[in-house]
Amino acid sequence: MDSVFIVEDDRKIRTELTKLLQKYGYRCYTSDDFSHMPDVILKQNPQLVLLDLNLPVYDGFYICRELRRHSKIPIIVVTSRSTDMDELMSMNFGADDFITKPYNTQILLARIAAVMARTYPEKAPDKISYRGLTVNFSQSVAEAEGGKAELTKNELRILSILLRNRRRITTRNDMMNALWQSDEFVDDNTLTVNINRLRKKLESIGVHNYLITKRGQGYMI
Amino acid sequence: MSVKNYLRDKLLFIVLTAAVAAFAFLLLDSIPGVGYAGVYISSAFIIAQAISLICEYIRKNSFYRTALKSLQNLDRKYLISEMLVSPSFEEGRILCEITRGACKSMNDEIAEYRRTSNDYREYIESWVHEIKTPISSSRLTLENNPSKVNSSLSDDMDKIENYVEQALFYSRSSNVEKDYVIRKTTLKKIAASALKKYAGTLIVANASISADGLDEAVCTDTKWTDFIIGQILINSVKYRNGHLKIRFTGKEKKNKVLLTVTDNGIGIPGKDLRHIFEKGFTGTNGRIGRRSTGFGLYLCRRLCKKMGLGIFADSQEGKGTSVTLSFPKSSMYL
Repeated sequence: MDSVFIVEDDRKIRTELTKLLQKYGYRCYTSDDFSHMPDVILKQNPQLVLLDLNLPVYDGFYICRELRRHSKIPIIVVTSRSTDMDELMSMNFGADDFITKPYNTQILLARIAAVMARTYPEKAPDKISYRGLTVNFSQSVAEAEGGKAELTKNELRILSILLRNRRRITTRNDMMNALWQSDEFVDDNTLTVNINRLRKKLESIGVHNYLITKRGQGYMI
Repeated sequence: MSVKNYLRDKLLFIVLTAAVAAFAFLLLDSIPGVGYAGVYISSAFIIAQAISLICEYIRKNSFYRTALKSLQNLDRKYLISEMLVSPSFEEGRILCEITRGACKSMNDEIAEYRRTSNDYREYIESWVHEIKTPISSSRLTLENNPSKVNSSLSDDMDKIENYVEQALFYSRSSNVEKDYVIRKTTLKKIAASALKKYAGTLIVANASISADGLDEAVCTDTKWTDFIIGQILINSVKYRNGHLKIRFTGKEKKNKVLLTVTDNGIGIPGKDLRHIFEKGFTGTNGRIGRRSTGFGLYLCRRLCKKMGLGIFADSQEGKGTSVTLSFPKSSMYL
């Protein structure tokens, strides 16, 4: 399971962020020991650090630099200070990405996934199998007992969003937001068309009722 | 200081000199045996007075002319006291002293205002950063506790966020240059970046986005263009009319690149169109229940001006509005 260390002094954000990331399958660590933060993080040895800049005792830049002295662990700076200077400083101190608060949760999740995939390419799944369907991401193909079906860019994205979110309802708005974040500015109609096409493709390879519509709420698999 | 005006100022002196000379001449002329003494004395007197007049003119003229010239060349006129060199005549010294006193008091006042406005700006910026923490945690709470009111609440959160953003950008707008990093980018990236940032609002409004000709390269800071385009998009959402369609079009002109955002909203009445970038202008549309603050577009124009971008709007009532940003084309990159 992928693990994330959240460095954040606001308790509420910390607990809510932990809940959110756990829901999406990450193990989360946090700590209140701001005076020994770099050591605490290194001891936990997480796969990624979400780092706030405004912190008690030492600021995020210091922690970033300290971590870099001992480890190549990916760091995403998450802050409400949004000047270019902060971004530049973060990058100079070795952060991998920079997100400003308040963030869209879909953006945050997408950035975490992107940094994870970049840092640990060997762990990034090329294929996901779930309920008799195997999705091959690099070839953009869906496979099942009934055969193979090529997927368009949007269909692949929709499937990957649903797979990342499996057994939970993804609302149409969330799905559209996730598509928009990957430069596909689809509207309601286009999404419906894409989903219908995807359903037909899956049926053609013998997978029936894979995408479940939750009326008025969204989709799930 | 013209000679004519100077002489007019010295009229009394000249008249008295002439009178005294004439009196001396007449007086000496009436005494027999002094010969031409009257003529000599009067002429000597007149010549002496004339020389003193000329010398005084030269001295004053050179001082005042330099002073006026310095004033003309000065960008900030209130710094004139620094440029004045104390002259050798009393009036000039008094003038210098007065100017110095006035300018010093003025500069103190300016410094005081600058300090308070800086304090205020710092306060606003730190306030904005503080308020972002509860906004972030509210968003996360919403996300973690899905319910039927979620989309309505998150729509409101978007609005709160936009108002907070406006406050931040307004306070930053007086010194854009401090936080302005120009990078080479394309119209496509500019549009995509703004669309992603305002995705929530646009998706809830069910906007259909289309684009055309956005491959042009421009040099700008997307943080600021995100905000400017965001304000335009929020207006399109606010003043929508039926199914919202937004179109981004790019166009290359001789020395600039144009990015136009067109919507199919209710449009702006002709008489309002030329006022929409004014501060506090709400217009007919703003008064018919759509809650205009008259601030968004004003801020857009202010920021554009600071960044050297052009912004203008066109609209047909009932059909839609288009707002165009014009980026200067830098020959450096061609």
